[in-house]
Amino acid sequence: MKTDTHQVPQGEGKGRTIVLTLVMAVITVVMFSQGKMPQDPKEMIALVLTLLFANTLFFLLLYTGRTDRYRAIYFSTFAVSLIISFVSHMFEARGSMSLSETKILQCEVPFCHLVIPMTLVPMAITKTIIFPGSLLGKYASIASMFVIWIGATLALGRGFCSWVCFYGGLDDGFSRVLKRPVIRNINPKWIYLPFAVLLLVALTAAVYLSPVYCSWLCPFKAVTEFQAVTSTKILIQTIIFVGLFIGLVIVLPILTKKRTQCAFLCPFGAMQSLTNKINVFDVRIDKEKCVKCKRCIQVCPTLSMSEESLEQGCARITCMKCGKCIDNCPKGAISYHIKGTDIPGKRNAYRLLFLFAAFLFLAIFSSHIIQDGIVRVLKLITTGSMIS
Amino acid sequence: MQGFFLGLSSGLTCVAYCTPVLVPYMLGEGKGIAHNFAALAQFLLGRLAGYLAFAFVAWLINLSVLERLESKGLLIGALYIIFSSFLMIYAFFKTDAPCAARSIGHIAGKIKASLLIPAMAGLLSGIAFCPPFLLAMTHAADKGSLSYSLFFFLMFFIGTSVFFIPMPFIGALRRFQALQIIGKMAAGIVGLYYLYAGIIAVVAGVKGI
Repeated sequence: MKTDTHQVPQGEGKGRTIVLTLVMAVITVVMFSQGKMPQDPKEMIALVLTLLFANTLFFLLLYTGRTDRYRAIYFSTFAVSLIISFVSHMFEARGSMSLSETKILQCEVPFCHLVIPMTLVPMAITKTIIFPGSLLGKYASIASMFVIWIGATLALGRGFCSWVCFYGGLDDGFSRVLKRPVIRNINPKWIYLPFAVLLLVALTAAVYLSPVYCSWLCPFKAVTEFQAVTSTKILIQTIIFVGLFIGLVIVLPILTKKRTQCAFLCPFGAMQSLTNKINVFDVRIDKEKCVKCKRCIQVCPTLSMSEESLEQGCARITCMKCGKCIDNCPKGAISYHIKGTDIPGKRNAYRLLFLFAAFLFLAIFSSHIIQDGIVRVLKLITTGSMIS
Repeated sequence: MQGFFLGLSSGLTCVAYCTPVLVPYMLGEGKGIAHNFAALAQFLLGRLAGYLAFAFVAWLINLSVLERLESKGLLIGALYIIFSSFLMIYAFFKTDAPCAARSIGHIAGKIKASLLIPAMAGLLSGIAFCPPFLLAMTHAADKGSLSYSLFFFLMFFIGTSVFFIPMPFIGALRRFQALQIIGKMAAGIVGLYYLYAGIIAVVAGVKGI
């Protein structure tokens, strides 16, 4: 028989939280500093602030038992820092955010993970990477991004999209602007659109040996880099990506409280959804505890919870493991889970294992970007310019 | 390759509509995977014959009507816009599209399935005035040469046929509803490309006038 006892997820005890945070602190000090203390005061301040920020959030994650709230703060800071850092780099290197034909021909375009679905088939067939970036050594090289992607995918599956993706924090952040959504009823069929986009961009890239999504659809070009408008075709492409950025990354997330770009467009997200099948972590619903209040369905930012999910006891394949449903379940019926183990089982142990893996990826991947972002802001305050 | 992609994007939906034709036949015969492949091959050959016949018709339309028009670009552009709009509406907002395969499916349900000749079913299901097919007709008619028209429809056929390959392993088609939606949405995105092509053609046609 079900009881009405409020069973929201409980955090770890104070002593245990401190010990675990100390472990994370040691790892992050080593990883963030890479074994040497910076000489420049601004860099030193940035390192200390980043370490304090990361470890405070990790402490709160463990102590309060709330996952999504503190993850989102870190995740959105990461995305904003990326824009500050990346755009500053572009202005230093090229004098603008626009990309010339010369730079493309010189293979100096920074690589990002969204290109990966388009590179796999051509790579298998032709043994070449169809992207004008550098393989090793330079800023945002192809090899480093592939290594991070493979590691994070094995550890987190589509959790990548809530813990590692440096763009995801933008629509995640905008989806939290309003307290209540203005648009409530979204047809769940739209969750299939990213799979359709994936199907087409992967195949067109394989046939034309060109990253079609980057040229035509990627909304994040609006805040990173884009091709200089030199023809009607590029003008149309610019209108499309700016429109998609305003619509899917800013306006719709605010109005719907959903991560609309990630849920309804991103082909990389669709590919990551498929990797959820091989990932050891998933989000499960204890059917004994669930009272079908549907709170999880309302709050899920990617429509990955449905009435069918409640019946089956698991989230849809598109689940990003952000933890929002877990935080909001009034009965504590939803939890992180390790495949093959009992439900609910040792839910706190499963959560801890997942959080350690996910948080480490987020912290380590974001550390230099956040530090650079802080240095740029300090430069702006002290010199009036973000660039050297 | 445009024919291939247009076919590929609508292929999942074709599979969805042709399943009621093929699956009862395969299950009714119950002679195993090798026999199912043979039936599928007959079906696809029939379908190819239907498509090639329409490639010929598209070429005839070009020869008899379009070649004599001064504002051919404008007309083709307008047709692209109309059919791509249909395609997008069909892909994103409608649940059903006009497809001969559905009617054949209804008939197949009423008569004894084993009596269906797969090749004839394929030929009839090739006559499908669905938005992707109409776009393919327009594209083929636009280009003018018989060889291009035949090649375009051949590629369209290959694109639509890719998804038929797993059909003999009927058990693998459990998630059909999701695949059908994904296929339709992919067709809708291809529709966006043709909308772009149509707008460019109309603009060029207006400038030409």
